[in-house]
Amino acid sequence: MRAVDVREVSFTYDDGTEALAGIHFRVEEGEFVAVLGSNGSGKTTLIQLLVGLLKTNAGRIEIGGREIGSLAAEELYQRVGLVFQNPNDQLFAATVEEDCAFGPRNLNLPEAEVQKRVTESLAAVAALPLRGRAIHHLSFGEQKRVSLAGVLAMRPAVLILDEPTAGLDPAGEAQMMQLLKKLNREEKMTVILATHSVDMLPLFANRIYVLDRGRVLQEGPSEEIFCHQEMIVRAKLRLPYVSRLMYEMKRHDGVPIDGLPLTIGEARAQLLELIPKEMILPGIEESGS
Amino acid sequence: MFDLFSDIFTYRDNALTRIDPRVKLLIALAALVAVVSAHRPILPFGFFILCLGTVAALRVPAKLVALRLAAPFSTVAVLVVIHTFVTGTTPLFALTIGGWTLTAKAEGFWQGLFLGNRVLGALSIVLLLGITTPAHRIFQALRGFRISEEWVEVAILMYRYIFVLLDRVGDLAAAQRLRLGYRAPRRGLASFSVLAGATIVHSFEQARRTHDAMRLRGYRGTMPFGPFPALKRRERGILLLGLAGILAAYAILEWGVAG
Repeated sequence: MRAVDVREVSFTYDDGTEALAGIHFRVEEGEFVAVLGSNGSGKTTLIQLLVGLLKTNAGRIEIGGREIGSLAAEELYQRVGLVFQNPNDQLFAATVEEDCAFGPRNLNLPEAEVQKRVTESLAAVAALPLRGRAIHHLSFGEQKRVSLAGVLAMRPAVLILDEPTAGLDPAGEAQMMQLLKKLNREEKMTVILATHSVDMLPLFANRIYVLDRGRVLQEGPSEEIFCHQEMIVRAKLRLPYVSRLMYEMKRHDGVPIDGLPLTIGEARAQLLELIPKEMILPGIEESGS
Repeated sequence: MFDLFSDIFTYRDNALTRIDPRVKLLIALAALVAVVSAHRPILPFGFFILCLGTVAALRVPAKLVALRLAAPFSTVAVLVVIHTFVTGTTPLFALTIGGWTLTAKAEGFWQGLFLGNRVLGALSIVLLLGITTPAHRIFQALRGFRISEEWVEVAILMYRYIFVLLDRVGDLAAAQRLRLGYRAPRRGLASFSVLAGATIVHSFEQARRTHDAMRLRGYRGTMPFGPFPALKRRERGILLLGLAGILAAYAILEWGVAG
């Protein structure tokens, strides 16, 4: 079943800025798809179209097999949820609990079900201890997780996130990505992530769409995307740092590396193959890993 | 500036923070009515001293209390000055400024003090309520009293975004200061007007984005609230005791029942 199907969609803002020009974008149920692009590439416009905040000028968008315009708001927002880049845009209630309960209460669910959803969604993002806290007393990382919980409480089939790791420290970034991976792999939730941060994507995304000036430059799994160096540069992006290092070693130092490793694990495996066995001290390798 | 709106004391555990907000709100309302309708200065002054004493007992820093009472004190000062020079007949003293002679009068002075007393009494009650009850609990209580949903919703959003806007305005002001925006009074005035304009623009943008986020979670014009449990016996007892105390104080100090 196709979770999201975008066909020939174009969008131009009132001031004449063409944000999207006839793009195709498809996501299957249970997939983890990243939309990669530099600032102004059209990522945010695309996700705003996917949740119905903007209306297309041309083309067709289907969510779960139904044309987006034919879905009532209540139905649409249980199919697709958006986590904003800045949690302050999204956390409008005074406390964590009130904010998470906002969506379920709008669905007119019984209070017991509302409380159940609040508990489950907070537990899913490891934020249960924050339940009674005031929003303005939360750290930025906590606000990010709570804003995700607020959307999860709607139980959307498709979760869309706009730059979910922006502004987070490395530990917060890793925690957020692990959370999304868990939701995708264990809860079978379809995840669409708009970002320009490339380093973690090969670890999580099944497929990547690269956007540039409102057009899809390339689409495919990460190993396919990152082997197109020129396209990456054209999209004003870069390779993951570990891939860049390996690429430079191959190009300038003639190190015989097959393909282009995208993760530290892949790079480590390749380097270990090149280093003579007698030079590797097993104990050090064990403790260092 | 953040201190002015800080609510960290409301999250402390003490006898007053544990009381149901509806009880506190009703007692505060009764106390406000008593202060505003008082005809003698002793009752408002008594509330002022009682509330300040309680705030001190809760170990709220004096600096914060002074900061929060700075505006009411200014109002009182203006009230006293205006009444002293405008109302009454018995001269106290005269001031000559640029050929104009202003005569202070005793009746006006005492009337100004009395009105100022009411202002301080009323605001100290609100101060105590604000120091012992988180804003969201007050909003919940208001909803419990069937206050208009729209008003409560606007109050919640205003309260929530005060902190966001304060952060943003603080950053903008710091950026202006780092580029010598407040170096001279005239330049400072220009910077301040830009800051004020930017704050308005930011609040509009914030409102638009927040409205989008609310729509995406099913908002249909009213913010839903959870149920409010019935008052417990202990809470009802506190409410009755509080109201009886205020009535007794009013009867003794205003109607002279005891005398």
